[in-house]
Amino acid sequence: MEKLLATIGQNLFVLFGLLAVGGAGVLIFSKSAVHSVIGFLFSMICVAGCFLSLQAEFLGVAQLLVYAGGIVVLFLFVVMLVELTKYQEQGIFQTQTKFAIPLVGIGLLIFAGVFRAALFGPSAPEALTLQQGLVGATENLGNAQAVSRGLFANFILPFEILSVILLVALIGAIVLAKTERV
Amino acid sequence: MVSMNAVLVISFLLWSVGVAGVLIRRNALVILMCVELMLNAANLNFIAFARMSGTVHGQAFALLVMGFAAAEVAVGLALVVALYRKKGNIQVHEINLLKG
Repeated sequence: MEKLLATIGQNLFVLFGLLAVGGAGVLIFSKSAVHSVIGFLFSMICVAGCFLSLQAEFLGVAQLLVYAGGIVVLFLFVVMLVELTKYQEQGIFQTQTKFAIPLVGIGLLIFAGVFRAALFGPSAPEALTLQQGLVGATENLGNAQAVSRGLFANFILPFEILSVILLVALIGAIVLAKTERV
Repeated sequence: MVSMNAVLVISFLLWSVGVAGVLIRRNALVILMCVELMLNAANLNFIAFARMSGTVHGQAFALLVMGFAAAEVAVGLALVVALYRKKGNIQVHEINLLKG
């Protein structure tokens, strides 16, 4: 039974991950910006599924709320605002695309080769294994409580810096997007 | 139980799709979305390593990264809107305001 559950968990993770990569492919290769946003939304939802299958429940739900609920809507607003339709026929890729695509492909292949040698090669270290659960996440102390304890016990300064950065981003976005009225 | 190598491979794939998108697309909105994709790949690694070490530090930091990503999107989209007001389109190869 345990073995069956482990197999199901692994397969769910791989399934969600491949679906996320597929959504990312739609994001890159679709001609219409709205289709790109939909691919992005799909990819983010699948990444949230990956988080859930890694037993990070709080982060999975936060991912759904922040990305599917907030960021995608923001992107859709801007897509509607800037009416891209008249630029659709100009071609979606960079003008230097005949050099860019092979170069990007070669670079990523080199990186993939290094990655493969490091992970699966003969000199690769023993495959890392994931632990069953988190330290501090017991039956009566769930994932959210464990994460918040980790956050406020160890990362209180980054948390405060983040709040200042969010305030700066808020003010900066208003100033940048404001129309120039005298 | 998810194996660590599966997580690393999936996150590498997501990251490389993001890099390819940033390098070959010329729509500023799509480039912003690809940056988000790369941040998500990093988050996936943070969570996997948190599970590997059995502590919550990685998950807490992934939450912080999510906040930074939200701030970046807000400023980036405001820049896109300002650019659209100025130039009339958001193709990155036409941003040459500094060219004398």
